Amino acid sequence: MIPVRYNLRSLIVRKATTVATSLGIALVVFVLAASMMLVSGIERTLGATGRADTAIVLRKGSDAELNSIIDVQKVGLVAAAPGVATAGGAALVAGEVVVVATMQKLGADGVTNVLIRGVTERSASLRGALTVVDGRAPAPGADEVMIGRQIRGRFPGVDLGQSFELKKNRPVKVVGVFSDGRSSHESEVWGDLDLVRSSFGRAGMVSSVRARLTSREAFDAFRQSVEGDKNLGFEALRETEFLEKQSEGLRAFVTALGSTIAFFFSVGAMIGAMITMYASIANRQREIGTLRALGFPRWQILASFLIESVSLALLGGFVGAGAATALRLVSFSMMNFSTWSEMVFTFEPTPGILLGAVVFAGVMGLVGGFFPALRAARTSPVVAMKG
Amino acid sequence: MNVQIDVRKVVKSFERGGQTLRVLDALDLQIAEGAFDALMGPSGSGKSTLLNLIAGLDKPTSGEVLVAGASLGALSEAALATWRSRTLGFIFQSYNLIPVLTALENVELPLLLTNLSASERKQRSRTALRIVGLEERMGHLPRMLSGGQEQRVAIARAIVNDPTIIVADEPTGDLDRESADDILTLLQKLNAELGKTILMVTHDPMAAERATTVHRLNKGRLA
Repeated sequence: MIPVRYNLRSLIVRKATTVATSLGIALVVFVLAASMMLVSGIERTLGATGRADTAIVLRKGSDAELNSIIDVQKVGLVAAAPGVATAGGAALVAGEVVVVATMQKLGADGVTNVLIRGVTERSASLRGALTVVDGRAPAPGADEVMIGRQIRGRFPGVDLGQSFELKKNRPVKVVGVFSDGRSSHESEVWGDLDLVRSSFGRAGMVSSVRARLTSREAFDAFRQSVEGDKNLGFEALRETEFLEKQSEGLRAFVTALGSTIAFFFSVGAMIGAMITMYASIANRQREIGTLRALGFPRWQILASFLIESVSLALLGGFVGAGAATALRLVSFSMMNFSTWSEMVFTFEPTPGILLGAVVFAGVMGLVGGFFPALRAARTSPVVAMKG
Repeated sequence: MNVQIDVRKVVKSFERGGQTLRVLDALDLQIAEGAFDALMGPSGSGKSTLLNLIAGLDKPTSGEVLVAGASLGALSEAALATWRSRTLGFIFQSYNLIPVLTALENVELPLLLTNLSASERKQRSRTALRIVGLEERMGHLPRMLSGGQEQRVAIARAIVNDPTIIVADEPTGDLDRESADDILTLLQKLNAELGKTILMVTHDPMAAERATTVHRLNKGRLA
């Protein structure tokens, strides 16, 4: 075989074109990896802390907590359903109300929606990863809230020890900051259930009921019981399934956007790689002719130049993937279409994503380099004899 | 006399601008095993075309080319490539070394088509470089060598696979007189001491003088 060092050194010798082409490919890989990392971040934010042994009950036909209304009197029926776990004799069930409040962004023009959740003392225990990381939990019945760590300092008064208006003329004090395994709850404000209901005119109702089950297998019986009474009009979902549905729209949007951009960029990058390889091969006609004269068969010439093209693309792939990895330090807020509230996302690089992006670069090199390599393989050995 | 290169009634034509150009015209040529022959003639006389046919780089329009017992017209392109790698050594006017490979790596190239181990290939390549007097330059890239040295590396590459025939196309065309003399002396040595059959195309009468036989071409025929 023609030694690979021949191709690698040829790339080094042609520094300027190698760097320019690699950067084009790096840009594509960066965009592709970034969009995949964002989808991964969305999945993590909207689904990371879901549990298969926790059920969420909504009004039938509601696809989100925000547009679900359940009479608070009926929460007891959910608590009495088979399969619900208990602690200290009480069912592990929490009826919660979810509303959105409009807030002014700090350091940016315009307003955005922030999700406000009215919770009971059971709510925190139904989220396995929820921890108060600064301050304390709000006292029941008090005009106090705690905030997710992702929105800390993003809005006026939304920081520990400060106050803001939950609703006009309804000031609340921030007494705690919590984390929840980077889930969407970290972009929420949590207050006492009654405080939120009274502030937003939701007396006598909750948006959803969360219930911890005795096991994941207990879900079917629980659902049968809760959905069995048609008069209640309830729909029960596993928490994991519910969270996956919540992320569906956003995930599809980011995937479609990222893939579309990456597709058009990749066409450009492949054309760039093709032009580079055609130019390189045109300048090396005598070298190729010499290799053919010495007896190297066409397929070896083809393989050699494909290796060169793939190496060029992989160089760009590693640069692009490396640059994309740095995005893990970046977080930004986006509208979650299922709650119409702002949510903070981070980029989540995984070995699979990075490997996939680099392999994609290799495929670009293979496709972009094929026709130039074919031309090289068709070079007549007679070319070697021309002075 | 054992004929090693036998060209029989060879015609080679090219199409140029709708016209047929007959470059070789029913040409016959025999070269004996172990000979050092030169092909001379004016530009366009068909020297390089004939060399290409003998080297299996091109095929005749008609006629037969027999080299080292093989009828080249009957071989497929892949078979011709294999045949070239085993039978021929090439020396080009412009040396045709791969600029990004060292002298040793350039010499090793023909051996990459054999089953030899890496260490055997290195050993043989060093030996070939020693024969041409450049063993100490084996790590140098072509651009670090003079023209004469580059051509000597090319000669080492031409002999490393121990071919029976060496074809040389204007091997001294790009060299000064002193370097040209060195190269021609080296070719004579390869012919006399290693028994290589050498066919050299040249414009240079002083180069042709070193050959044992000179064939003169004119308008596609031997003069």
